[in-house]
Amino acid sequence: MTPPFSHPRWRAWPGRAVTLLLVGIVAAGFSGLLAEWQWQAVSDLWQSAYLRQVIWFSVYQATLSTGLSLLLAIPVARALHRHPRFAGRALLLRLTELSLVLPTIVAAFALVAVYGRSGWLNTALGWLGLPFRWNLYGLQGILLAHVFFNAPLAARILLQGLERIPANQWRMAAQLGLTSGPLWRNLEWPALRRVLPGLAVFIFILCFTSFAIVMTLGGGPRATTIEVAIYQSLRYEFDFGRAALLAMVQLLICGALWLVASRQGSTRSLVPGSHEQSGTRRRDARPRDRLLLQLFLAFLALPLLAVVVRGLPGLLGEAGQGQLWWSLARSLSVATIAAFLSCTCGLAILAASQSARQGGRRLMARLLESSGHLTLLVPALVLGTGLFILLRPQLGQTHQGLALVAMINALMALPFVLQVLRGPFATLPPNSLRVADQLNLRGSYRLRFLLLPLLRRPLLLAAAYAAGLSLGDFSVIALFGSPSAPTLPLLLFQQLSAYRIEAASGTAFVMLILLFVVFYILNHWGDRRRHLRAPNRLTTGARVHA
Amino acid sequence: MARLFLLILFTLSASLAWAGPTLTVYTYPSFVSEWGPGPAVKQAFEAQCNCTLNFVALDSSVAILHRLRLEGESSPADVVLGLDASIMADARKTGLLAPHDIDTSSLNLPIEWQDDTFVPYDWGYFAFVYDTQQLSDPPTSLDGLINAPDDLKIIIEDPRTSTPGLGLLLWMRKVYGDQAPAKWQALQKHILTVTKGWSDAYFSLFMNGEAPMVLSYSTSPAYHMAVDKTDRYQAAAFDEGHYLQVEVAARLRNSPHPELARQFLAFMLTPAFQREIPLKNVMYPATDLGDELPDVFNRLIEPARTLYFDPQTVADHRKAWIDEWLNATAQ
Repeated sequence: MTPPFSHPRWRAWPGRAVTLLLVGIVAAGFSGLLAEWQWQAVSDLWQSAYLRQVIWFSVYQATLSTGLSLLLAIPVARALHRHPRFAGRALLLRLTELSLVLPTIVAAFALVAVYGRSGWLNTALGWLGLPFRWNLYGLQGILLAHVFFNAPLAARILLQGLERIPANQWRMAAQLGLTSGPLWRNLEWPALRRVLPGLAVFIFILCFTSFAIVMTLGGGPRATTIEVAIYQSLRYEFDFGRAALLAMVQLLICGALWLVASRQGSTRSLVPGSHEQSGTRRRDARPRDRLLLQLFLAFLALPLLAVVVRGLPGLLGEAGQGQLWWSLARSLSVATIAAFLSCTCGLAILAASQSARQGGRRLMARLLESSGHLTLLVPALVLGTGLFILLRPQLGQTHQGLALVAMINALMALPFVLQVLRGPFATLPPNSLRVADQLNLRGSYRLRFLLLPLLRRPLLLAAAYAAGLSLGDFSVIALFGSPSAPTLPLLLFQQLSAYRIEAASGTAFVMLILLFVVFYILNHWGDRRRHLRAPNRLTTGARVHA
Repeated sequence: MARLFLLILFTLSASLAWAGPTLTVYTYPSFVSEWGPGPAVKQAFEAQCNCTLNFVALDSSVAILHRLRLEGESSPADVVLGLDASIMADARKTGLLAPHDIDTSSLNLPIEWQDDTFVPYDWGYFAFVYDTQQLSDPPTSLDGLINAPDDLKIIIEDPRTSTPGLGLLLWMRKVYGDQAPAKWQALQKHILTVTKGWSDAYFSLFMNGEAPMVLSYSTSPAYHMAVDKTDRYQAAAFDEGHYLQVEVAARLRNSPHPELARQFLAFMLTPAFQREIPLKNVMYPATDLGDELPDVFNRLIEPARTLYFDPQTVADHRKAWIDEWLNATAQ
């Protein structure tokens, strides 16, 4: 008897269908806007001083943000690698994972609490009697926030790069008594150099398309990015043509960079995996590394601490309000669906691209995988508004809107899910695969007894990322969600704009806790070794690396 | 599980049905905040309508219009409250609004009001409010502000997202005509930051001492004088005159509760609603409150001239004027 779904087509076609769907949705999103396209709008690009400034500023701030993040991340990654037993290490690593999914609206709130006019920093400066006052608004605020978000991510990826250096090379270096300088030249730099270009492009794209940060901390037309300009055109000017034009400029710039980086093969593993090596303390470890790590930990933890300190009283005041809990329920259901959809689509795409690669169709394989990254480059808002215009007549019910939000969130998370799953998927232990093939384990049985157990950790991690991104989503829900039935980020935004700071603090706190819980549960669940059942014998001896 | 969910859903909708019809009103956030008129208005209206009044706060008054446009015929709103005269014509053009059919003879505005769709519920003048502790000698005209020493900083709102922001744009346009873009460039050095909405500018920045002057309303000091009991914040009277804002509400054509919506619009012009306006929405009431108008309202600046564009002119030029502003201030 053949197992269900065991026809070879089931390997290739679901992924292809997902790709088609993705391209179709992106095209539909654009065409919804292009219906109002006017060619003369293109000339705005060089005629309008405003648009020139917007494009220039987007590039400028993204370049600076990327540079600063990497400059901070390299020494932090080295210090982390030198001190595997640093006291706050586990916390620091958790925070670096969270930084990718920390909702920007919560982060902006947290940063204002610490670095704002009446925040902790200025209060401290006041106590010290220093006349200097830090102003958060404008370019400096945007840079600070982008470094807060991206330096931890970069440090984590670079640390993974360092950990990939084979142990025997370290042993040899130790025997030779290499000091910090030669170690850097001979071991560390060659290892980092392979990840850096892709990482730089990735961070550049994240900063280039940054939205909520620039919106909150920007300070007017002079510090506006393309993504914010798109939002303004869509939400306030109803100028769909301009929005589509700007979206295409963004797609061109980011797409070109991504292509260049992925040609060099350095766009792999840009999302923190969940493995942790515990090595020994390196001989070139210095006390000042420890200081650097402590400062970095404070830089990351202080704003989050501010959310907790400010949030607790707010939460106590709001806990009796049904609205908070209803929003929580809505957020959770949307995130669960989004995570499930995203992981399913991710697996389908990887299976299809692997089967294409084995069939010798490399172009097809690359096409399939790059389609999964489309949503990194096309603003969620463009997709959202385009679809909104196309689907408007059928919309009306809150739950239909939420279902759409879950779907678009799933697509938004797909690039990250693919990043997490691709490595483990490509390096499934060969002997397990051989045994599976000998047993003729195909179709749904292969999925259930081979793939799911082996990919358990990366899958759960990918789900955590997808759920986290969806929990923090603001741009899609702002369109499709009904203002009277908000999710947590929408509720937070409503509270902030109604100046209900106390309530907003409580909501931000709940969001933060929720993220921690989601990551903790999914990580914990992933770590737990399942009781050995027959199929798990396939995995014996194969330790899964995510 | 699904059955349980359906059951809960059913119970919920059943319990809602018991409470009579729900009137959904789209408005801006400060109207429904705890210190705004929303809570008192809700209580007063529900006491007489046998219904539930549901305020839905969108992020600004401009956002109300755009939400309507996006939702079109399927909008769940019955009433929109918080549009202003400068976006009225655009709102009318959506074709989603219905004539108000109420008696507006009790209106008391600085201009003549004839409109069959929009009902004004309050009005005020845009003005720069300053902190007397930081600024003892404020400018007395727009010209004076533009030519003030470089270290005088102001906070303004974005005309694309906020009605005071749009108000300043129109104010500059009314005073300077085609010279407005050049004047904006000259004003640029005084602008500390441009915020998305009035709350950010006023509460988050100005009240925290971020800048000595902020674009707000001539009525703002009334709140501080009456509620905070302080004369610290005052509005600067400008020689060129001040731009007028009239805030309006309207009902939707597709509302399933047309009679209730009409009842709400009429309720807006009764003292029960109007008396919440002066100190909670911090604007002039749209009808004559007589003795009920708080005393502090007699201590506010009286503009030398009322500046005002008719709604159609604003609708015809808004985009061009905003583009001018963007190009003038982005450099």
